Amino acid sequence: MNMITKQHPELYRIVRAHYLASAVCFVLIGVLFFFASADFAGHYFQPKLLAITHLAALGWVTMVIFGAAYQLVPVILETGLSGYRLPWLSFVAFLSGLVLLVCSFWRFEPGLCMQGGALLLLTGMLGFTIVIFLTGKRLKNKKENIHQEMINTSCIWLLATGVLGVLLVFNLRYAFLPQDHLQFLRLHAHMGMGGWFLLLVIGVSSKLVPMFLVSRKQNLRLLDWVYYLLNGGLLAFVIDTYLEGINNRTYLIALLPTAAFIIYFIYLIQCYRSRMKRRLDLPMMYTMLSFILLLAALLIQPLIINAHVQNITQGIALTKLYGLLVLMGWLSLLILGQAFKTLPFLVWLKIYGPGTGKEPTPLPSDLYSQKLLIIQGIAFTGFILSMITMALSGLATPARIASGCLLLTALCYLLNLTRVLTHKKTTGHA
Amino acid sequence: MHSFDVTNPDTYIEMEAWERLRSIIDPELHVNIIDLGLVYTIRANSTARMLVVVMTLSSPGCPVGEAILQGVANCLEARFVDYKTDVQLTWEPAWGFDNITEEGKKQLWG
Repeated sequence: MNMITKQHPELYRIVRAHYLASAVCFVLIGVLFFFASADFAGHYFQPKLLAITHLAALGWVTMVIFGAAYQLVPVILETGLSGYRLPWLSFVAFLSGLVLLVCSFWRFEPGLCMQGGALLLLTGMLGFTIVIFLTGKRLKNKKENIHQEMINTSCIWLLATGVLGVLLVFNLRYAFLPQDHLQFLRLHAHMGMGGWFLLLVIGVSSKLVPMFLVSRKQNLRLLDWVYYLLNGGLLAFVIDTYLEGINNRTYLIALLPTAAFIIYFIYLIQCYRSRMKRRLDLPMMYTMLSFILLLAALLIQPLIINAHVQNITQGIALTKLYGLLVLMGWLSLLILGQAFKTLPFLVWLKIYGPGTGKEPTPLPSDLYSQKLLIIQGIAFTGFILSMITMALSGLATPARIASGCLLLTALCYLLNLTRVLTHKKTTGHA
Repeated sequence: MHSFDVTNPDTYIEMEAWERLRSIIDPELHVNIIDLGLVYTIRANSTARMLVVVMTLSSPGCPVGEAILQGVANCLEARFVDYKTDVQLTWEPAWGFDNITEEGKKQLWG
């Protein structure tokens, strides 16, 4: 009785810092993409691509996930965040580690800077994981739900990815790992993409999508299947690829996460069909469309496995396309949509929350610019199309167009985000 | 659904309070809290100069829950200046889609 989750004043500052840092990283990716457009024609394991990939995976995506998680995990678990000091410490460690790691990758200096950066990043990840686990411990209803299990397990995968990343950084200098560096890089990438990003996004979105759509049907049993198939598939992939490399069994193993995603897709479709809110706003439209990009990436998987098993050189181009579709396609579009679904609420609550009911106030959706969101969507579509052309053809022109479109997308996003964060109090609907 | 006793003068205050609360909009769904079925009862006591609202939220983790409760208190205190407003939050019965009125469903469907 009478218990609700209240917004702590410090939460706003923590979330704002994460969103802004992430948006700046996104703009930087657009700039670096331009300078490295020629490098996209070659192999994926090269300094500039490593720098951009880590800036995207850690600075752009993970940073905003950390911020969004601090805002949304209390909503999903229906309890307050465990504390506010550790998220700040985690943020500082993560950001400074990111700067060191990306700079040393770009110049490819596998020395102290790179090692220190990797260790600082791991410290930041550990801080985040502790906050999430302690928040879960505050639950009055001790029975864990599937959303919480997904979030907790994704944190374990994040730490595992981080530990392997640190080992890989030290391996560049001391070469102590028993097998090929690229073999471990493959494991590192899949643990991050499948275990951290996919599992966390499913855990959070499976709760938020039906909430935003006001869906009557939420088949939570499907999510149990998703959880076990995804984790089972990832574990099988990590063990089998470590022992034997990519082989014919990999086809079967890849079926597990693919099945998990298809089941999740069915869950989303059921939510969509049983929704009570007919019109999808732009942020929700981007969110739903982002999953199609993930589906496209998963459909490429058998071709990549085939290229590795048959030792065909096309595997490199397909691997780049796969990575780009997941990281810069699915995850980016998801953020470009969800940021304007979640952040305006935080700002609205801070500015208008205490005075609600006294006077007419704008709605959270009035805080961002629809026009900028549309331009952002058009620029992003241009980026995706030119990126696919670039990855498959290896030509420099589509790479330059892609970098221009990406930069425009990032600038629209940063501008709109700043507009939300600097919103001044007005009365009446905008 | 709430009922009115026309022989009781407090009923008219309650009726006006119900109507007033239609100005409190759920910021995500863009539907007022009455049509969402969040308000269970409103009791006015003109002798004690007291208004008691019993209401719920869509979930205990509702991010705008605090703002909605504050909005209810602000809205009623602004209209009934000589009444004290007590907004009581309850989770029983839990809110469900069946709480939404036909008008609320129409607004959601756009």
